[in-house]
Amino acid sequence: MAQIPNLENAPLNLKSIREKSQRELVNLLKDIRGTKCLVIDPKLSGSVSLIIQTSTLKILEQEKVHNLVTVKEFPLYMVPLDEDVISFELDLSEKDCLVDGDVSSLWHVAKAIHELEFSFGVIPKVRAKGKGSVRVADILNRMQVEEPVNTNDVGRPEIDTLILLDREVDMVTPMCTQLTYEGLLNEFLHISNGAVEVDSSVMGSQQEGKKMKVPLNSSDKLFKETRDLNFEVVVQVLRQKATTMKEDYTEINSTQTVSELKDFVKKLNSLPEMTRHIHLAQHLTTFTSKQSFLSQLDMEQTLVEAESYDICFEYIEEMIHKQEPLTKVLRLLVLFSVTNSGLPKKQFDYIRTELLHSYGFEHVAALNNLEKAGLLKKQEFKSNWQTVKRTLKLIVEDTDTSRPDDIAYVYSGYAPLSIRLVQQAIHSGWRPIEDILKLLPGPHLETKRSGFPSSPSVDSLHGASNGVADGRRSVVLVVFIGGVTFAEISALRFLASKEGMAYDLIIATTKILNGSTLIETFMEKAG
Amino acid sequence: MANVSVAAEWQLLYNRYYRKPEIYQMRWKHVDLSRNKVACASFGGPIAVIRDDSKIVQLYAESALRKLRIFNSAGVLLSETVWKHPGGRLIGISWSDDQTLICIVQDGTIYRYNIHAELIQPNVTMGKECFEQNVVECVFWGNGVVCLTEGGQLFCISDFKTMKPYKLADVPGLTEDDMLQPTCLAVREPQYTMSGNVEVLVAVGDEIFVVDEDEAQSIRFDEPSVEDSEMGNDDYGNNLIGTVQKMIVSPNGKFLTLFTHDGRVVVVGMESKQIAIDYSCESALPPQQMAWCGMDSVLLYWDEDLMMVGPLGDPVHYFYDEPVILIPECDGVRILSNTSLEFLQRVPDSTESIFKIGSTSPAALLYDALDHFDRRSAKADENLRLIRSSLSEAVESCIDAAGHEFDVTRQRALLRAASYGQAFSSNFQRDRVQETCRTLRVLNAVRDPNIGIPLSIQQYKLLTPVVLISRLINAHSHLLALRISEYLAMNKEVVIMHWACAKITASPSTPDAHLLEILLDKLQLCRGISYAAVATHADNCGRRKLAAMLVEHEPRSTKQVPLLLSIGEEDTALVKATESGDTDLVYLVIFHIWQKRPPLEFFAMIQGRVLARDLFVAYARCHKQKFLEDFFLSTGQIHEVAFLLWKESWDMGKNPMASKGSPLHGPRIKLIEKASNLFAQTKEHTFESKAAEEHAKLLRIQHELEASTKQAIFVDSSINDTIRTCIVLRNNRAAAKVKSEFKVSDKRWYWLKTFALATIKDWEGLEKFSKEKRPPTGFRPFVEACIDADEKAEALKYIPKLSDLVERGEAYARIGKAKEAADAAAQANDGGELLERFRKTFSQNAIFDTLKMPFQGAS
Repeated sequence: MAQIPNLENAPLNLKSIREKSQRELVNLLKDIRGTKCLVIDPKLSGSVSLIIQTSTLKILEQEKVHNLVTVKEFPLYMVPLDEDVISFELDLSEKDCLVDGDVSSLWHVAKAIHELEFSFGVIPKVRAKGKGSVRVADILNRMQVEEPVNTNDVGRPEIDTLILLDREVDMVTPMCTQLTYEGLLNEFLHISNGAVEVDSSVMGSQQEGKKMKVPLNSSDKLFKETRDLNFEVVVQVLRQKATTMKEDYTEINSTQTVSELKDFVKKLNSLPEMTRHIHLAQHLTTFTSKQSFLSQLDMEQTLVEAESYDICFEYIEEMIHKQEPLTKVLRLLVLFSVTNSGLPKKQFDYIRTELLHSYGFEHVAALNNLEKAGLLKKQEFKSNWQTVKRTLKLIVEDTDTSRPDDIAYVYSGYAPLSIRLVQQAIHSGWRPIEDILKLLPGPHLETKRSGFPSSPSVDSLHGASNGVADGRRSVVLVVFIGGVTFAEISALRFLASKEGMAYDLIIATTKILNGSTLIETFMEKAG
Repeated sequence: MANVSVAAEWQLLYNRYYRKPEIYQMRWKHVDLSRNKVACASFGGPIAVIRDDSKIVQLYAESALRKLRIFNSAGVLLSETVWKHPGGRLIGISWSDDQTLICIVQDGTIYRYNIHAELIQPNVTMGKECFEQNVVECVFWGNGVVCLTEGGQLFCISDFKTMKPYKLADVPGLTEDDMLQPTCLAVREPQYTMSGNVEVLVAVGDEIFVVDEDEAQSIRFDEPSVEDSEMGNDDYGNNLIGTVQKMIVSPNGKFLTLFTHDGRVVVVGMESKQIAIDYSCESALPPQQMAWCGMDSVLLYWDEDLMMVGPLGDPVHYFYDEPVILIPECDGVRILSNTSLEFLQRVPDSTESIFKIGSTSPAALLYDALDHFDRRSAKADENLRLIRSSLSEAVESCIDAAGHEFDVTRQRALLRAASYGQAFSSNFQRDRVQETCRTLRVLNAVRDPNIGIPLSIQQYKLLTPVVLISRLINAHSHLLALRISEYLAMNKEVVIMHWACAKITASPSTPDAHLLEILLDKLQLCRGISYAAVATHADNCGRRKLAAMLVEHEPRSTKQVPLLLSIGEEDTALVKATESGDTDLVYLVIFHIWQKRPPLEFFAMIQGRVLARDLFVAYARCHKQKFLEDFFLSTGQIHEVAFLLWKESWDMGKNPMASKGSPLHGPRIKLIEKASNLFAQTKEHTFESKAAEEHAKLLRIQHELEASTKQAIFVDSSINDTIRTCIVLRNNRAAAKVKSEFKVSDKRWYWLKTFALATIKDWEGLEKFSKEKRPPTGFRPFVEACIDADEKAEALKYIPKLSDLVERGEAYARIGKAKEAADAAAQANDGGELLERFRKTFSQNAIFDTLKMPFQGAS
């Protein structure tokens, strides 16, 4: 199966973006005269491989032999990860912004959105929450002044609303363990550039110790069906499918007609997908069935529900004493600090000392970074998490994960704050929740923009006929500045698929992350 | 009929008609072409006139100073200047493709003028050899020139943009023999040669050489044409051509016209070597000028006699009582005399079909029909019926003929005929008429004597509207250029930009504010125009203040910021860069200021600017740590300095020189202690101060341990690791000492020690430890350590001691004791839920195993 995702069914023509990047890269290489050798930094090769098949590059490769080293800038602003997900590939965005005040990534995000506008028209409605988001909206407006997108060239805007959200606004969600299939795969096996790397023995191969790459994107029908489900349900779905197939298999011995055989063979085509996911799911359960995993979930739930901080503090203390991986400890500690708006001074100093003693003094830099970013700090005022939680109904009791009616299923009962905000932004804008927004970090903004208008009458006529005629829904572009988790993406997909939803959602992000990868960006080594 | 008068002016050359309409009565006075050197630019370009200093001329009421005068094609003076250059006689003068006047004097110096007779600096020279040997002849083409020296050497500039002269190969005999001089030269432009380099044709004696940079090759035209060989005339070759007195290359570079010593005009193919024309003139006297008229015929000019030779038939003669100059164009020749400018061209087919005497072509009938229609004659209808089937062809011809006309009334008549016909024709592309009208309006506008660019439609199409506009603005006809741009829906930016720059140059005494107003008024006409480019020009003209005012209006920060820096507006540049959000720009400004200013001034400048400061710090952290320390010190951020020092201590630790026993350990600890002291200076950093102090203490202890154990395994591990290592080494005293030094809590100590003992499988020691006193952590650490080490038997010793029943049940479950787990759960309060969970855990793996069964073979 191709690792490069199939983008045929995307609500926007993302293929054109990929093709444009392909063209730009090939042209860039062609521009250099004579023979050349392309040296790709391993960090980049993943992103590049999502854009261009190696076969295209092979032609260039044959010219081999390096000549002179030429360094050129390849303006890669975005990579479509899937039909509805775009990544700007800015790994350190959150840490850069929060710790170092280096907001370069904001300009790049704005630039990327502006590039999209050149293809799909000026986005008329903008809703932003968070310092970075508001700044991006601002830069975007400047760019429209500097290099205007001409509305006449692109016609009716295909993207109706732009929602910008800073990761900083919701640091709770990424610190919780994702419970969707794709989310869990990322938590335990680390999905990078649309694939996981696992021991081949996991996938049932006989060769021990060999690593193999398993591509994960919507070209895989079974994965498309299961990726956004709660993992519990995935196991059930797989079981059901396997059982049916098993029955078919036994039946086939008794049936002889050609058409029945044909049907069976058709079903057999999905067999490799079935086996692949059964293997992966089984591998995941070796992690999820562990006692420590369950108590970890327990703790997260307790923190989010803001029930008993003392138990949680003791739990974290014990984690340190057991010397569990530092990222895991910090992840929970950050969740603790964020929901509690910090730690009391005494506990703060105590826990930091324990950390430094247990893991080494070099981690003082990480602690300092987290403090600068406001993720791990001394408590100065009372937490307003209770209010936020209550008003936005973040805790949903009795979540039926198999037949969900709310986004809360992705965290088995906790509805991600970020997605609740998006939900609000789509349905009613910021106005009804202004009070809550004020409790969250950063300013918010809601504006209407317009391109340089062609005659308005023509526009509206066009709009009326166009929107209905081609049967496509308007698109909302949701941009996460500082990264997004797979579970949040699943929650958005769930929203988009709900009845009565008038929009298709496209998700763009600086990077796909989970709590651990986010924490790791803050852990520069002091030495 | 009106038609008759048109064709009456035509001349027939064999079967082709030629016409020679007068385009302008020259507006100039007292210009005698015979007394002057004259350079006329093709595509209806300007005419440069300067008194010929190689001729003896009588001065009338004029100054003895020579003047270079530049006229448009209608003889309107555009500009003039006094010529007083050294370097000897003016040898060659010609216009380049971009309408720069190239003047080459005897010593090889090249003076360049623009259309405003302003000298373009710097002057260039053809080289030392030309200076020493003198240039005797130049042959120009659109973008280059070849010079012949007295010594017989050839030098070439093949691109006027770069102006790099180089020497061509020597022609055999020419450089050795002073007496031998080439009789004539011609150039084949680079675009027409195989090699892509210029080729010079040099006629010496009986031979013609093709010369390029590498070699000079003699060419022979000795292959007789088919007819000649049939006539038995097979001795036809160079011998018969003999010495060539004059030669020119055809406009497409494929043919060569020669005028031989015995008065014959011979046209041969350059590649085929076949002779296309061979005509014997009455006299062997070489013509003063020779030119191709398009690709159809060749013109030869002697005093008062202009002869046109075609491939067949008798030549046509035109007589002039005044000197003329032939200006070759792509589709004909312009003939300039003292009093008029004519355009000699082959009559276009469409025009011929309409106006030829007695023509009954559909187009002629359509044109006639309009005439009848205007006179309300019923014959109009009759004509239309006659041509019904070929009406669209007739309309097409009328449109085409209109395009070729210079006379506006006739243009109109032909276009009216076309649209009259179009009304009866259903299948004709209607925009053809409009398009031609639009083109003609442009052409008529530039043909106006005051503009004086007599372009034919063919020339216009070859030149392209873009180039035409650039020529117009070059001649400062900005308004017309703007109108044409608007009319043709082209980008006005070029025009407005050029105007703005020209305006700034031309208004040195206008006050900045006033000039800005004038400029903005026009610049605003064009969205997206680069204010920065205009500002750069203003700055180059020495008007820095105006530049600053202009750049304020530039919307594109990428253009604005660098310019602000170059005009010294660093503060504004920093503000604008920050506003843009483009951090690359901010860095650009930071680096610029960093380089230009002393550090303290630089620090002060960025300290107040959050983004600039943060970016500088982020950069310096990676690349300029010492400099960053200075910055933090100067701005009083002591704790940041402390962090830097602390970090440096690790860099030192990583240095391989810092291995065991090296004196580097001393400075390292000192560095950390210094950091600790700096932290202590601010109240907010007591924690860090204490941590650094502890770190220094730890390092000391670790060094001592390494010395006493003779094992380099302590330095740079954590306190926990140090204790663990001590226990593993069974050095309990050292472990206890570290514990008390750092006040390790009892809880941590229990976890640490149990796990350390489990690592070395000291189960006895573990049991002993569990009995020392009641563990402050409960027995959990012991259970965990044993289960982790997969020692179920050991674990069973401690599990019953767990006080929490749920915990106890879970622990049993983990080691697979289902029954005991269930018992414990049953005793616990919320036992039901717990039991359910156990059931799940036990069954989950079983599910997958059964699932995979049917697929084992297939995967």
